[in-house]
Amino acid sequence: MKLTILFLLPLVLYSNECITCHPKKMEQCKNSNHFTMKNEINITRSAWGIKDSNVTLQTLPMPKDTIDKPADLVDDFLRRKCLQCHLTSKEINPTQNLCLACHSPHVNKQDSFKAKPAQEKCLKCHNNNYIGTDYLGLFPHDYDKAYRSPLTKEGNYPKRPYGIDFHHLTPDIHHQKGLNCIDCHKNGNDKKWEDKVDCKSCHSDISKQNHQEYHTNISCNTCHSAWNISNYELNVLRDDTKNYKQWKRLTVQEDKYLEKFLKKALKNPELKPQMPDYLSNKLEDGVWYSGWRFKRWENFFLINDENGKIKIAIPRYQYRISFKNEKGEMIFDDVSQIDGKKLEAFIPTSPHTVIKKAKSCEMCHENKIILDSNLINKDLFQGAILNGSPLLPKQLEKLNSPYYKQQRAKILFSPK
Amino acid sequence: MKFLLLFFYFTLFLYGQNIDNCLNCHQNTTAIDNYHPYKEFGCASCHGGEPKATSKEEAHKNIVLNPSRLEHASMFCGKCHQDIINRVDKSIMNNMHGVLDVLKYQFGETKTIEKSTGIEYLKNKPTQEQSLAEDHFSKLCAACHINQKEEIFKNTGFTARGGGCVDCHRVEDGQKIAIKDDILKLKHPKLSTKIPNSNCLKCHNRSNRIGLSYFGKFESEGYGTPYKDGNLTHQIDTNRYYYELPADIHHTSTKMDCIDCHTEAGVMGDGKHHAHMEDAVDITCKDCHDPQFKPSNQFGLAGLLSTLNGDIPYSKEIAVTKKKNSPIYNLQKEDEKIEFYRKSDGKKFDLTKMSDAPYHSSKNHERLDCTACHSSWIPSCYGCHEVYFKDGKQYDWIKHKPTKGKWMELRSYLRYESPALAIGYNKKIMPTAPGCQVIATIYDKDVKVDEFHAFAFAAWDPHTTQKESRTCIDCHFNPQTLGLGAGILDIKDNNVTFNPHYQSKEDGLPINYPIDALISKEGKQFQSFSRKDARGFNKKEVNKIIEAYKCIICHNKWDDTIYKDFQKSKKLFYDKKTSCSKEVLK
Repeated sequence: MKLTILFLLPLVLYSNECITCHPKKMEQCKNSNHFTMKNEINITRSAWGIKDSNVTLQTLPMPKDTIDKPADLVDDFLRRKCLQCHLTSKEINPTQNLCLACHSPHVNKQDSFKAKPAQEKCLKCHNNNYIGTDYLGLFPHDYDKAYRSPLTKEGNYPKRPYGIDFHHLTPDIHHQKGLNCIDCHKNGNDKKWEDKVDCKSCHSDISKQNHQEYHTNISCNTCHSAWNISNYELNVLRDDTKNYKQWKRLTVQEDKYLEKFLKKALKNPELKPQMPDYLSNKLEDGVWYSGWRFKRWENFFLINDENGKIKIAIPRYQYRISFKNEKGEMIFDDVSQIDGKKLEAFIPTSPHTVIKKAKSCEMCHENKIILDSNLINKDLFQGAILNGSPLLPKQLEKLNSPYYKQQRAKILFSPK
Repeated sequence: MKFLLLFFYFTLFLYGQNIDNCLNCHQNTTAIDNYHPYKEFGCASCHGGEPKATSKEEAHKNIVLNPSRLEHASMFCGKCHQDIINRVDKSIMNNMHGVLDVLKYQFGETKTIEKSTGIEYLKNKPTQEQSLAEDHFSKLCAACHINQKEEIFKNTGFTARGGGCVDCHRVEDGQKIAIKDDILKLKHPKLSTKIPNSNCLKCHNRSNRIGLSYFGKFESEGYGTPYKDGNLTHQIDTNRYYYELPADIHHTSTKMDCIDCHTEAGVMGDGKHHAHMEDAVDITCKDCHDPQFKPSNQFGLAGLLSTLNGDIPYSKEIAVTKKKNSPIYNLQKEDEKIEFYRKSDGKKFDLTKMSDAPYHSSKNHERLDCTACHSSWIPSCYGCHEVYFKDGKQYDWIKHKPTKGKWMELRSYLRYESPALAIGYNKKIMPTAPGCQVIATIYDKDVKVDEFHAFAFAAWDPHTTQKESRTCIDCHFNPQTLGLGAGILDIKDNNVTFNPHYQSKEDGLPINYPIDALISKEGKQFQSFSRKDARGFNKKEVNKIIEAYKCIICHNKWDDTIYKDFQKSKKLFYDKKTSCSKEVLK
C-alpha cells in the first residue's frame, strides 16, 4: 500500500499543470494500459507461475527476499528488465511529468497541436521486438559483437538508435506515405489510443476482386504485412556473482545500463554485480542477462485470435529461466517448464509492415510451419497459443482444399 | 594379397637385422600400432639419430622427434610410404592453395583462378609485399594445414593442428613419464588408419562447416544458449557457439564416420595438383547407392587397407569410385548381396540402393545433383564485413609470429532454412549459400583509407542429407530456393512478381540488390561464383521452374501421370484437351 502512494506521488506532484485543463484525460490515462501496464505485467507473471495475477505497475509487489522458483523472481525481472519503459521512467521521461512521456508541452489552445505525440516519442519505448520500429522497416540485430555491421561510409560503427543495431527491411507503406503512429492510433471521445485500429475506417473502398467471401475471417494485416519479428526462446539469467568474462562479446543486450556496466566490469572484474530497479530507481544486487535461440523475419504461421480472426502467430513468453545466487549456487537452472507446461507460447500479432500488394496465396496455403511434416526444429513451433487458438481442422483442410487449388490455378494460368 | 603380406613380413625381417641400441634406455616404450613393431624396426629407422651409439648425447645426434612432419617424412616414413608422401605433398590439405587462389580471385586480385603453391608460395614472401588476400590468408586461414606446427596452438583455446602425417593418423597422444633421472618411460603416440572424426574436425569446422553440419551442429549467432550452471553452453571454440539441427542421415542411422565415405585417394590426393577440394574428393553418392563392383585382386591397396583396418573382411568383389577408380574396400559384394562395413569397428550394414522410381529416373530432373533435394539445410552466413588495420599487428600462421596488418570480421546475419539452389561446379543443380560476401574496409591509423566489396555464392554438398527429399513446392515456388532471397513471390496476370524483404541500400550496404539475392526474377545474376561452371538460375530456368509450379499446385506427387511425358501433358493441357484445362483456362 505504501508503495502505491509512492508511485502516485509524482503524478500528484508534477502533473498539476496538465490536470487543470485536462482532468478527464488524466482520469482516462490512469485507466490506460500505458499507465498501469497490467497486460504486460500480468501475462509475464502468469507465464512464470503466479496464478491469477492481477496487479498493475502501481501495485506491483517488491521483489521477494527468499527465492526458490521463477515465480519468486518475476517481479524482480519485471522491475529491472521490462519496466525500464513506463510513463515516469527516468530512462524515457526525465521530466517525471507522466503526460510528457508522450506529449510535448504547450501553453494554450492555439498551440495545442504541439502536444500531439510525435512518432519519436512512441518509438522511445516501442522500438524493439514487438510493434513499433518495424513500422520503419527496422529489425533488431543479433547481440554478438560481430553483428555491429555494416560499417558506415566514414568507417564508423553504425548508429544505434535506442541502443540497438538494426537490419533494414521493407518499411510499412503508411510510413512511406508519411503517416505517423497517431494518424491511425487516434484518441477521440469514443476512442482510446490503445483501441485496435480498424483498417476499414480509412480503406472502406477495398476492391471485391481480391477480397472474396472466403477470406472474410482473416485480419487485413495477415495478408498485407510483409514480414514479422519472430524471436525464439528468450534465455534469461540472474547472476549475483562476478562472472563477467563470458559476456565479453555480448555486452549489447538491448539494455543500455547493462552495456555500460559490462564495459566497466570487464575492465574491473571486482565490480559488484548490480542493476537498477526502474520503479524504485535504486541499484539492487544481481544482474539480468539474456539471449535468444535465434531471430527470424520470414517465419510465421496462422492462428485464430480471440475474435475469431485469422492472424499471424509469433513466438512470445518463450522463457528459459536461471538464477545463480551470490554464493554461486544455482537456485534453478534453465527452467523451461512451469507446472508441467513448456514456456513456449505464440500470440496473434499485427506486424506494422503493411504492404499494398499482399502476400502470395502460397505463403499461407503452403505454409511450411503448418504443413511440412519434415520441418526442421518442429518442436519450436508447438507451443501454447495465448490470446487465441490454433487453426481448427476444418480451417486446415481449407488451406489445401481442391477448391482453393482450383481458384489458385485459375489465377496462375490467367493470361495477361 | 598373400604376396603382399609376405613382402610386408620380409621387410620387417630386413629391419629386424638392424635393431638399434635405443631400447636399452627406452625399454618401456609403448607400441605405435601393430605394423611398426620396435623389435623389428628399432627406433632409428623412424627417428634417426645414432642407433649404435652408447651415450645419450651421441645417440640423440640428428634425432627427429616427429618424423612425420612433411619435411622429414620422405627420409623416414618414405622408406615404405614414399608414394603417399608424394601425393600428400601436392594435396590441397597440405598447401591450402585452393583457399588462397579462390581468395585472391574473389578479392579481385586475379582475373581467373591462378594455380599457386599456396602456403609454400607465401612462406618466403615478405609481409610488406603480400597482397590483401595473401595477408588475409596468412592471418585467418593458414592456421589449418596438415604440416602446421602443432606447438603454436598452446594456450590459444584452439585444438592443435598439423604435425604432418600424425595430424590425421595419430589417435592417441604421446607422453613422457620420467622413471629415473635419465630414463624415460615413453608412451608413444598411437597411429592408425581408423582416423577418428575428431581429427577431421580440427579443421573442417569453418568456412562451409561440413564437419559441424554432418553432426547436426549449426554455428549459431553466438548467444551460447541455453545457459547451464549460469554459463554459456554449446561452445565450438573461443568465440563460436552452435545449436542443434538434424544431423546427416549417414550419422544418425549408422554412425558412419568421415572415413567411411572419404577414400584414401580422395583425402591424401592422387598426385595431381587440384585447384579445388571438389576435384580432389573422390567419393560421390552414387558410388555407394548405385555401386559398381570390381574384383578386389585388381587393387593391391584394398587388401592392404582391409588388413590394416583389421575389422573388415577381405572380399573378392569390392566397389570402386567412378571418378578415380579407387577401391571402396568397405563396400563389398558377396553372393549378390551388397554389404557395407563401418571402418571404425567392422559392423555390417545393409545398404539402400538408389531407387529407379520416376523421381530419380525422370528426365525432368536429370540435372539435379542428389544434394539438391536431399540436403535439408545449409549454413548460410550473410555479409562478411572484413575490417583491415594496416598499422595493426596480428599473428601470421605461416611466418609464425605477429606481423604487420590486422583483420577483424563482422557479419550481417545467419540462416539455415530453405537452401538456395544454383548450378554447381559439376554443372548440376546443387544447394548454395554465400561464400563469401566480402565488404572490406581498410584503415590506416584509425582512418578509413580504402574499401572494396565482392559478393559471391558457393555451391557445396552441405552434408545434411536426409532420406526424405524436399517437397515439390519448396523448390518450384520458394523465392529463397530459387536464389531470389526472402520476400514475396507471386504470379498475377501471367506476370511473376517479387518483393524482397531486405533493403540493402537503407542498410548501408554497397550493393543495389538484396543481400540474400543471388539472382533477380529475370535471372540476372547479382553475385559471382569462383567456379567456372557455377552460376545462379538464368531467365529460362527460373521461368521453367515456376511454370512447372502451376501444375504442381494440384499434381504434387512424383508418380502423377502428367510427369511421365511432361511436355506432352502440357501440350494437351494448353490445347484444352484435359479435364482440368477446361476448368482452369479461361
